Amino acid sequence: MEREVRVWDNLKRDTEERMKKVAHLVEEGKVVKAENTVALLEGVIKPGDKVNLEGNNQKQADFLAECLCEVDPKKIYDLHMVQSVVSLKSHLDVFEKGIAKKLDFSFSGPQAGRLADFVRDGKLELGAIHTYLELFGRYYADLVPKVALIVAFEADKEGNLYTGFNTEDTPIIVEATKFKQGIVIAQVNKIVDKVPRVDIPADWVDFVIQSPKNFYIEPLFTRDPGLITDTQILMGMMALKGVYAEYGVQSMNHGIGFFTAAIELMLPTYAEELGLKGKICSYFALNPHPTMIPAIESGWVKNIHCFGGELGMEKYVAARSDVFFIGPDGTLRSNRAYSQAAGHYAMDMFIGGTLQIDKYGNSSTATANRVAGFGGAPNMGCDAKGRRHSSDAWLKCGLEYGMQEALLGKMPRGKKLVVQMQETFKEKMDPAFVDELDAWKLQKNANLDIPPVMVYSDDVTHYITEEGIAYFHKCVDMKEKMAAIRAIAGYTEIGLQAKEEETMDLRKRGIVKTPEDLGIDVTRANRSMLAAKNIKELVEWSGGLYNPPARFRNW
Amino acid sequence: MLSWDELQKAKFTEANARERAFGLVDKGTFTEFVSPRDRMPSPHLPVLGEAIGYDDGVVTGIGLIGKRPVFVVSQEGRFIGGAVGEVHGAKMVQAIKLALKAYEDVKVKYPDSYEERLPAVVISFETGGVRLHESNAGLLAHAEVMDQFQDARGKIPIIAVIGSKIGCFGGMGFVGAATDVIIMSEQGRLGLTGPEVIEQEMGKDEFDASNKALVFRTTGGKHKYIMQDANFLVEDSVAGFYQQLQEVMKLPFAEIEKFRRIGSKKLVEEQLELVKLAVGLGAKDSMDVWKYYGNEDPAKLVDMGPDEFLKVAKRRERKLG
Amino acid sequence: MALNELNFKYKVENPQSIAKEYSHLGVVGSGDLEVLMEKKDFGGGAEVKVVTPVTGFDKVWEMVVTKFVKGNNLGDLLIEINDNNATPVVVSMRLRQALAEANKIEKGGE
Repeated sequence: MEREVRVWDNLKRDTEERMKKVAHLVEEGKVVKAENTVALLEGVIKPGDKVNLEGNNQKQADFLAECLCEVDPKKIYDLHMVQSVVSLKSHLDVFEKGIAKKLDFSFSGPQAGRLADFVRDGKLELGAIHTYLELFGRYYADLVPKVALIVAFEADKEGNLYTGFNTEDTPIIVEATKFKQGIVIAQVNKIVDKVPRVDIPADWVDFVIQSPKNFYIEPLFTRDPGLITDTQILMGMMALKGVYAEYGVQSMNHGIGFFTAAIELMLPTYAEELGLKGKICSYFALNPHPTMIPAIESGWVKNIHCFGGELGMEKYVAARSDVFFIGPDGTLRSNRAYSQAAGHYAMDMFIGGTLQIDKYGNSSTATANRVAGFGGAPNMGCDAKGRRHSSDAWLKCGLEYGMQEALLGKMPRGKKLVVQMQETFKEKMDPAFVDELDAWKLQKNANLDIPPVMVYSDDVTHYITEEGIAYFHKCVDMKEKMAAIRAIAGYTEIGLQAKEEETMDLRKRGIVKTPEDLGIDVTRANRSMLAAKNIKELVEWSGGLYNPPARFRNW
Repeated sequence: MLSWDELQKAKFTEANARERAFGLVDKGTFTEFVSPRDRMPSPHLPVLGEAIGYDDGVVTGIGLIGKRPVFVVSQEGRFIGGAVGEVHGAKMVQAIKLALKAYEDVKVKYPDSYEERLPAVVISFETGGVRLHESNAGLLAHAEVMDQFQDARGKIPIIAVIGSKIGCFGGMGFVGAATDVIIMSEQGRLGLTGPEVIEQEMGKDEFDASNKALVFRTTGGKHKYIMQDANFLVEDSVAGFYQQLQEVMKLPFAEIEKFRRIGSKKLVEEQLELVKLAVGLGAKDSMDVWKYYGNEDPAKLVDMGPDEFLKVAKRRERKLG
Repeated sequence: MALNELNFKYKVENPQSIAKEYSHLGVVGSGDLEVLMEKKDFGGGAEVKVVTPVTGFDKVWEMVVTKFVKGNNLGDLLIEINDNNATPVVVSMRLRQALAEANKIEKGGE
């Protein structure tokens, strides 16, 4: 039989060719001078390439992002950007300038409004909005980057990188790019003789550039306890008694909002009083939240794995290696992909705030004119269908699952607790419960395939408002679910449709519990419940190890 | 409301105006003047469709510290930023007037022992100054309060207590500075123009209002203490301020007079020298000034707890005749 | 532009007034309110006066207040609320706290 002669290393040859074109820009080792960055990018990137620009809700390869905006759009165009986050102005400027054309991403934050405009005006072709893990997965399938523009704290001349506290997405991007014959370019704050620890080995990195300014990091997970309201405290007490204690939840992920900050600050106070120490909250997939300090210091927490770092928490985390994941060099290594995997498969509960809840119990943070994306929340906030290990909390929730028999017959199976918290009215009497989510308007405005829903009704197990907890998973059908939503929707239009006898029946059957049903004294819901009442007290709890960023200091 | 004992342990920054008024005098001795039950809201706010409060954002009343009657004024920062309107201002003025009347009465009633029974005025500032909704009345109130201070001079001490979230700014910054004694916590802030306004007028290079740490370093209690603008620095608790007030009450009036920063030719000269220094030093940060006054490692002072700070901080030396 | 004033009157079975002659709670901060409760000889009735800059939610106010007065069998009582854009949850919570405060038995020396 005759075989056709075929070339099997086209990708490699292509890369080698590109590398040759820019060889003259390389100084010692793999170092390229900052002023040659644009030339480097023009040399290694070709029109139509898939390019990954590193950045997430914390650290940003901001210098490389700005340089990419400066390449000649006549030479480089039609790029397909695959990146976790669109949050810097430059992330969209590349589309404005005609350098990039298509975008696949996960989360957009501050640029969400402009992104929606770009999509509507046809300046940008939107691939899809993902969760982090989903997007990471596609880096290894149909969205493999040809060039990755990444960021690290330090590099040596050979290209070993130290990403340290903010390792975050770097390993998963680099591995996808480099092992598919791509090109990896790193901006670093400093080129040093020896990095404190090798987070990315030198032979996975092609170029290192010392950026003129340190890269930007957003302290996204710092919540000032001074801003926590009595209502958030009340709902935190309800969550602790009605969910954490009720199920004995030991492993979990917390959202980034004030509800969970309040809960974290009530572990050493209210939860301690309820005798829950050791029975709940031992394991977390969580960024180093400053509001966790009092609970950690009081001996509540066994283990925290971090998606990313948090500004100011470096020294504290390093000094608590029994709790956090600390490298041989003595600093934290975060890793978004692993933490997302832990959050999805190893945690019994996800709990966090939302913005809007529809009459069916779908929950969304989308607003009509902002394509904000998802980040990691939907991946945390869903039942992991592939989960096979059991735990008490997971089993109990599964046993209570009202649709279990309809779906599985007499087969026992657990269920992850997915808890969504929201006051019935937001500021200015804006109702949280709505007939139709704003996600539908956004779908129209931004031409999306489906409305972007953060957590679907079939994944939510508990809704908490100040009116009560709906043990949503206990409902046997959508009709009952809708009644449970109405029962806790207070004085919103949805809540006003609640029928008293229906609500009484749900309460009798434990599907809805009010603060009174839970035995909570509402008059105790005030700030004296908080283990720390301001940032300064968090510093005190940490023994001076926590060093909050200037914007959070009121001393 | 928390009991007096619970209040003593509470953070001063967490306490509302009424709680502060109760907690700054001896247990069980506070009586409120024109309390909410007397329903004395601003007559101007309803016309503008703005929310009203029955105390118009200030609690006034009388209590005791030891044998001395203490007239308390306590502003509520959560009500329109503690801004001074007509009723609010009138309540402040009237409290000081009553203190002056009490001074005369005490002298008549206890001719031999009046010194240990002399009244005092304590003002717990939490305000941005004039309430813009009723600015004429508010401005007038500032002048009237200053006027009362003049009448009280040499008779009864006026003591400023500054440790609440909003601080003491705007026109009330002048009023605060014109008191006899100033007690602050490091969370307390005292100044004239707010940080945002300075940034807006002079640019971010002059003052970066988003840099909260810088804002607090420049206007906060520690800086004011080093500069001798604040006479005492206490911890952020109601007890911290109450106990310091007890100490101040033990001092004879001659000592109290020495705490003043303005109010005589000599003091004005001292202030003018400070202005010269500010220009000459070209300080970019309050820490530069701390260093100038002999604090070798000023950055260390920033995070230091009040006890340790008081032990090690070097202050500007005052030239008192 | 003027403030919105709402008045409600109630008559419940076996009404209960408060322990103190009068009681006050809360601060009219943004999103918050103050509650003044005063014992009154209303022949068993209860009266509630709300002053708020908010318009368009009179029905919600009535429901929140009604639930509170009826749920606690209140009578011979005047309740006055000065509001600054509080949500229903804050209103109910402050009302409950105010009632607890109004029924606190004073201990000696305070």
